[in-house]
Amino acid sequence: MGAAVTLAAAGSAVVWVAPVSGSSGGGTVTLTVGVTQDVDSPNVTVGYTVAAYELWNLQYATLTDKAADDFATIPGLASTWDASDDGLTYTYHLREGLKWSDGQPLTAEDVAWTVNTSRDQEWYNHSSVTANLDAVALDDVTVQITSAVPDPKLPTMDVYILPKHIWEGPAADDVTAFDALDGVGSGPFTLKEWKPGQEWTMVANPNYWQGQPKIDQVVFRVYTEGGAMVTALEKGELDAANDIPAELFADLGTQPNIVTVAGAQGGFTELAMNGMAGGIGDGHPALLDLNVRHAVAMAIDRQQLFDRVALGIGLPLTVLGVSPDQEWLPEIPDAEKLGYDPEAAKALLEDNGYKDTDGDGIREMPGGGEPLVFRYAERSEGTQGAAIRELITGWLKEVGIGTEVSVYDDTQLGDIIYAGTYDLFVWGWTPFVDPDPMLSYFTCDQVTYDADEAGYNDANWCSPEYDALYVQQNQELDHAKRVELVHEMIRMFNTQSTYVVLYHDADTQAYRTDRFTGWLQQPKGTGPVIFSNSSPTYFNLTPIESSGSDDGGLGTGALIAIIAGAVVLVGLIVFFAMRSRSSREDRE
Amino acid sequence: MRATFILRKLAGAVSTLAFVVVFNFFLFRVVNKNPVDSMFRGRNLTASQKAELTRKFHLDGSKWDQFVGYVRQLLRGDLGLSFKGNRPVVDVIAEALWPTILLVGFSTLLAMLGIGLGYRAGWRRGSRFDTTSTSLSMLTYSMPEFWIGMVLLGIFAAKLGWFPVGGLEDPGSTATGFSKLLDQFHHMLLPAIVLAIAYVGEYMIVARSAMIETLREDYLQLARAKGMRDDDVRRKHAVPNARLPVVSLSAINFGFVVSGAIAVESIFSWPGIGQATYIAIRGPDLPVLQGLFLLISAAVIVANLIADLLYGRLDPRVVGR
Repeated sequence: MGAAVTLAAAGSAVVWVAPVSGSSGGGTVTLTVGVTQDVDSPNVTVGYTVAAYELWNLQYATLTDKAADDFATIPGLASTWDASDDGLTYTYHLREGLKWSDGQPLTAEDVAWTVNTSRDQEWYNHSSVTANLDAVALDDVTVQITSAVPDPKLPTMDVYILPKHIWEGPAADDVTAFDALDGVGSGPFTLKEWKPGQEWTMVANPNYWQGQPKIDQVVFRVYTEGGAMVTALEKGELDAANDIPAELFADLGTQPNIVTVAGAQGGFTELAMNGMAGGIGDGHPALLDLNVRHAVAMAIDRQQLFDRVALGIGLPLTVLGVSPDQEWLPEIPDAEKLGYDPEAAKALLEDNGYKDTDGDGIREMPGGGEPLVFRYAERSEGTQGAAIRELITGWLKEVGIGTEVSVYDDTQLGDIIYAGTYDLFVWGWTPFVDPDPMLSYFTCDQVTYDADEAGYNDANWCSPEYDALYVQQNQELDHAKRVELVHEMIRMFNTQSTYVVLYHDADTQAYRTDRFTGWLQQPKGTGPVIFSNSSPTYFNLTPIESSGSDDGGLGTGALIAIIAGAVVLVGLIVFFAMRSRSSREDRE
Repeated sequence: MRATFILRKLAGAVSTLAFVVVFNFFLFRVVNKNPVDSMFRGRNLTASQKAELTRKFHLDGSKWDQFVGYVRQLLRGDLGLSFKGNRPVVDVIAEALWPTILLVGFSTLLAMLGIGLGYRAGWRRGSRFDTTSTSLSMLTYSMPEFWIGMVLLGIFAAKLGWFPVGGLEDPGSTATGFSKLLDQFHHMLLPAIVLAIAYVGEYMIVARSAMIETLREDYLQLARAKGMRDDDVRRKHAVPNARLPVVSLSAINFGFVVSGAIAVESIFSWPGIGQATYIAIRGPDLPVLQGLFLLISAAVIVANLIADLLYGRLDPRVVGR
């Protein structure tokens, strides 16, 4: 009995001491990042979560890099490149002596293989860039890439280059069946271990072309509950965190040694109206009238939505977000802004014959008949759906428009959008850096004409003029001219108002200032510090010398816990010992 | 007689499981037709890429074809591939199983201390011990798990710093063997205590009322008349008769051990079955959900079966009925 107690106490002592030595042992400099979403797959032909992109951003270098400040195309694996006169062919010159993290040489052949194989096999994280490209390795350090069509995105080549010697086998078979835990890459950090549901660890790549990073490893730790993650950051168990719950964000910013960042990436939340472009479904006929759509837009106080629902986190922009780079966003003239003006909205409806003839507070179609009651599809996922709905339906009521609300999860919401059986819904998008994909979603090609073959155009509006501009910008090689074309398209889309952009969202992030310096916002001033487009922060971080290796703060706490743990264990042992003694007595 | 009893119970268990398989499959597919569109919204996929994904996830073809395919797969012991990351569902579930068994199993054992309390309280009904422990049990029983979790997390992890905020192991831990177990134990203790607090009242109350039921029985009077000590009367005559409801409660709860604890696992970022379920629902990751529901149902069915058979042993009257 006595021995058992001693053993238990000793055991519990080890329990609480172990973590202290574990986290500081060996002098390894570890950056610990809290996240709320796990990697779905480290395989770049399979994964699609934001977390997986962060992993690949660190693991795979690209031919050209993106500047932290403004996304400018800067040298990456390729130090220089030349364009042919027709702008269709680019010759990239790789740096000398490039190596994969496993020591194998990284050559033009790896680049050509990645470009061509991803095109042929339609890898979905590559093919939007490589679909029209053909790559030839001229020698070990020269690769020639030719586009079948004029492509203004070139010379930017921001696709992950994969190590051919690792991926050749899986790609010959079924590339999506490969677990991709090899951890061979060319970026600053490569995957060491992935514990699904818990964390993934990336270690510094000594062969990275910019040199070895100043931190040894990055641990991404998955939290299911954002509040607990914030606590871990405050305690110093984490150095940075992504996806902070909005309601904790403002307060967190006042904590010592913590800086909060609202990182805008061009993502936005919109109210969409059914423009019935595909001809399927049963949208309300009033929404086909541009005047009604404008009236709806003017009935909504978007500044108030930004302040009260988005809690002021993000940007109070009401223009379609097509890129995190604000260069692509036009200045919308006041006359086209359709700002909050309920009186003007009422007048517009009244003048066009939408009057309340039966005195129930809801207007009817011109000449009486069907009332202006719109089906409002509320999104159940995300935290803002209900608050947005409450405000918007209230404002619509004020101008004489009724609503019937139904709540849907994302799949159901997708289904009714494709089927066209809605009038209004609120959802959002996050664009890529190049505006092309976001702009493409509103072309006639992307309209859903058959519910089983859904397109991306959930504005359910399209026009030949817009489509013509889309093709033009897609082939315009003069950057300034292309920007102008994009501005024109966004203004046209804005005026059509099947989308009322409510505000631009932001990624809520925070980092500690007492262990590392060198946090970079991408783009500068408005963007996020981690989970940004090309994640330049990690390589830029430097540990602060004086912080030492103690990151736990477990000192006295551990001591008290040891005693408490010992007491509990002793109590349990005594309890069971007494029980077994008394049952022995029974038997006697 | 005994063999037919066992056979009858076995047949019941198997047919329940078959029903669960059918029900699960169609339940999820009624709600979600084709999750590919919503999963890949904003990913700029071509129609052919989406069609390929639909085919890969076995979401093409009629519901009936999909079902036949699913059952065939199941009979081979294959639960299919997760929509997320293409990983075998069996792997996804297996990874989550050990943490859950560790956490919920341990806390269930802790909570079973409530049985002893309940017997004692019921035996001395109306005593101060009874009123105190009953009202305490009522209190903890009525407190939501997530609330207890938040409070303890705030005090012991955030304020006092005795425990880590969450997770199964220290960040980036490379520990193996015994020190790994200790690390996991350190991380487990706080959530386990939360669950134990939440469950203990249930055991206590059930055990107490079972004990009260037996108090009136004549055989207790007889035992006392024989001159047995009060403690012995309780242990030898009252407790065995008060055991039945407690056994069935324990068996069912052990069945639920594998289902994890969604709220507590989420708060403590514990990578168990509860968290896996939560993540799969958000997907929605149909193959993982189906696999999880199958596992949980099977565990509860098996636990019930064991309880039934134990009943037969503990109380021969059950078999005769």
